[in-house]
Amino acid sequence: MNPTVQISHVTKKFGPFVAVDDLDLSIGKGEFFGFLGPNGAGKTTTIKMITGLYAPTSGTCLINGHDVHRDPLPAKRSIGYVPDQPFLYEKLTGREFLYFVCGLFNMPAAHAKEKIEEYTDVFEIGDFIDRRAEEYSQGMRQRVVLSAALIHDPGVLIIDEPLVGLDPRSARLVKDTLKERTTKGLTVFMSTHLLEIVEELCDRIAIIKQGRIIYEESQTGSRRSNGELETMFLELTK
Amino acid sequence: MEQFILLMNVKASTFLKSVTDLRLQNILKNLSSLFIFGGVAVGVFLLSRAATGYLLTQAHIGLFLFHRFLSMLLYVFFITVNLGNMIVCYATLYKSDEVTFLMGLPVPPHTIFAVKFIDNFFYSSSTLLLLGLALLLGYGSYFDMSAWFYFFTFAAVLLPFMLTAGVIAVIVLMLLIRIASRVGIRWLLAGIMIVYLSAIYLYFSAVNPVNLVQEVMKHYPDVNAYFGYLDPPFVHYLPNHWVSEFLYWTVRGEPARATWHLVTLFCILVTLLLSAWMVARAYYYKSWMSASEGRSPGSGRPWFFQVRFMEFGREGVLPRPADAFLRRDFWGFFREPSQWLHLLLMFVLLCVFLVSMSSLELRLTQPFLQTVSYLVVFLFDGFLIASISLRFVFPALSLEGDAFWCVRSAPVNLRKLYWQKFIASFLLIVTTAEILSVASTSMLRDSPFLILVGSLCTAFVALGLTSLNLGAGAYFATFREKNPIRIASSQGASLTFLGGMVYLATVVAILVVPLNRYFEILIIRGTTAPGWLLIPIIAVGILTGVVFAGSAGIGLATLRRDY
Repeated sequence: MNPTVQISHVTKKFGPFVAVDDLDLSIGKGEFFGFLGPNGAGKTTTIKMITGLYAPTSGTCLINGHDVHRDPLPAKRSIGYVPDQPFLYEKLTGREFLYFVCGLFNMPAAHAKEKIEEYTDVFEIGDFIDRRAEEYSQGMRQRVVLSAALIHDPGVLIIDEPLVGLDPRSARLVKDTLKERTTKGLTVFMSTHLLEIVEELCDRIAIIKQGRIIYEESQTGSRRSNGELETMFLELTK
Repeated sequence: MEQFILLMNVKASTFLKSVTDLRLQNILKNLSSLFIFGGVAVGVFLLSRAATGYLLTQAHIGLFLFHRFLSMLLYVFFITVNLGNMIVCYATLYKSDEVTFLMGLPVPPHTIFAVKFIDNFFYSSSTLLLLGLALLLGYGSYFDMSAWFYFFTFAAVLLPFMLTAGVIAVIVLMLLIRIASRVGIRWLLAGIMIVYLSAIYLYFSAVNPVNLVQEVMKHYPDVNAYFGYLDPPFVHYLPNHWVSEFLYWTVRGEPARATWHLVTLFCILVTLLLSAWMVARAYYYKSWMSASEGRSPGSGRPWFFQVRFMEFGREGVLPRPADAFLRRDFWGFFREPSQWLHLLLMFVLLCVFLVSMSSLELRLTQPFLQTVSYLVVFLFDGFLIASISLRFVFPALSLEGDAFWCVRSAPVNLRKLYWQKFIASFLLIVTTAEILSVASTSMLRDSPFLILVGSLCTAFVALGLTSLNLGAGAYFATFREKNPIRIASSQGASLTFLGGMVYLATVVAILVVPLNRYFEILIIRGTTAPGWLLIPIIAVGILTGVVFAGSAGIGLATLRRDY
């Protein structure tokens, strides 16, 4: 089976500094993939290359067989992206922002309305969706951005620190939703520092340090009992 | 005091690091800034010197009347500095992440105020300070003043004069923010605009340049026989009057009388600084809290903002991504008071300009004077187009802001986004510019041909300036800055504006000789010779094409940069 996300020999340099060095990763359909690493290891840079926000210095990022940089539009149609800082248009309401995103993904207004109603329920954002983003807390923004990322039914969800600012109830909601979506074929590429989340959710992980993969699980569900991941992570990244 | 010095040190070292950054891109940027700012300063110097010489030796208006005109010019300068400081101050003192950070530390709010006030003053007034210095040098060189005069007048007169405008702005702003928490920001800003327009109107109604010239010319050529007793009494209490009086008595060689006005200016400045300090101690923290609380009374959506057809969730006429951008930009614009209020202000200024033009006699019988009046009107139209473009087109890409990730990661062709922004901006700018051009050119001559020439050149200028501002705005994009006013007053924006001025000056240089020849034939022989204007129009078209292509190339290339 062809992988949904295929990263081949990707390098990213900022001047003389090598942020990501010859990275290779393959992630299959419906897989919940955890991407770990210490601060400054190259996680966000990798994510920005997969989502087309950075151009790799060399190598390719394929999403469903489309190169994100040579053939960006079909590749991006398959992606939902949640950045580490969920910035919104401050002067738009949450609902308007979701309509805007639907517009970017060329969804008809009636279909957009239907999906917005659906995600208003899924992420329980009805109480504040008609208020302007400038009034939102971090958790509110995170839930609106998650809705925006899933609203066009992407094949791949790229998510950088998904639970930042969420209260325990919202965090549970997000975890359950993402896990449930992977059973329906959604591929999740998640970067996080929360190892317990990884243990709970991820089928497979890779650890990056100084731009290079230092550990990658070859198959689903091979490791992890309670606390084992933390010990391994600390050992590998020291 | 220690905290103040520490914070000022940080500011100074940050500034020094930015100007001594030796990366190639930064060096090129600084050199081009130096070249353009320096060029404009030299231009202003020469203009100031020539204008002083012309008015005193050719027009013989006399020292007294000359300094009364200077006083009026200084009044406009004062209001510009004052308004500029007030607008930028709101962003610097109330909407800045740095202030939020400092408020969380054990730093007294009035210390934060003092640091941010100084920061704001130099940020928002540096270009005007440079222009003021160039004007002063031009003025002083005509009178052959000593080096000491320039140094002293700059440090002890021009700087305190501008600082006075800045201090008044910040005191008024603090009090207004307190009031805004009760009446709502929109009504408050509308009120400020009315007060400022009224101040300008009342000042010029009271001092009335036409009446002044008529009164003084009764004594011509001994115009200095006219004394200041005809001045409206309130004029004597304005800082612009003190500065012009200081200059008047200095060039007349009576330093004792000049000093009196200087002392007045200085005392008022000190009083205002102390007042600002006391107001800041009493109100800065409270007003900052009011501004931070977000919604204030009356900030709900008024009836005139309820534009149903632009609401999200409706199928639009445009294809979907373009339609989504249009709606987002529309609401982003009309929900930001600094955007729509500035647009309204510029619209009012355009109306004032057209009404003023209609009362002037611009149909002249001398070909050269007719050429000059035609080009001055054209240049003024161009200047207005350049100002509107800088204020509204330059920030267009920067205003994508931190949320640009959302567009960059979506299946959207960024070239289309760029061209959509260009077309929307160009349509607005060219429509405004054409109304202005047709109205003003028809006041000069009832010649459909000249109106057509003006209209064509204006369309080229609108195209060139829109493209220049959008392209340069993309190149100098600052996604972290949320305030469009600060974006439009950044160093990149100043460079772009000066670049626009150079482009306009080149257009005028292309037109001047052929236009003069055309008017010679028209006025002296009474026949028309359109052929004289064909080649310059083609040349303006080619120049515009170069500016358009260069700017678009830079803008589009910039969009491919890492975000």
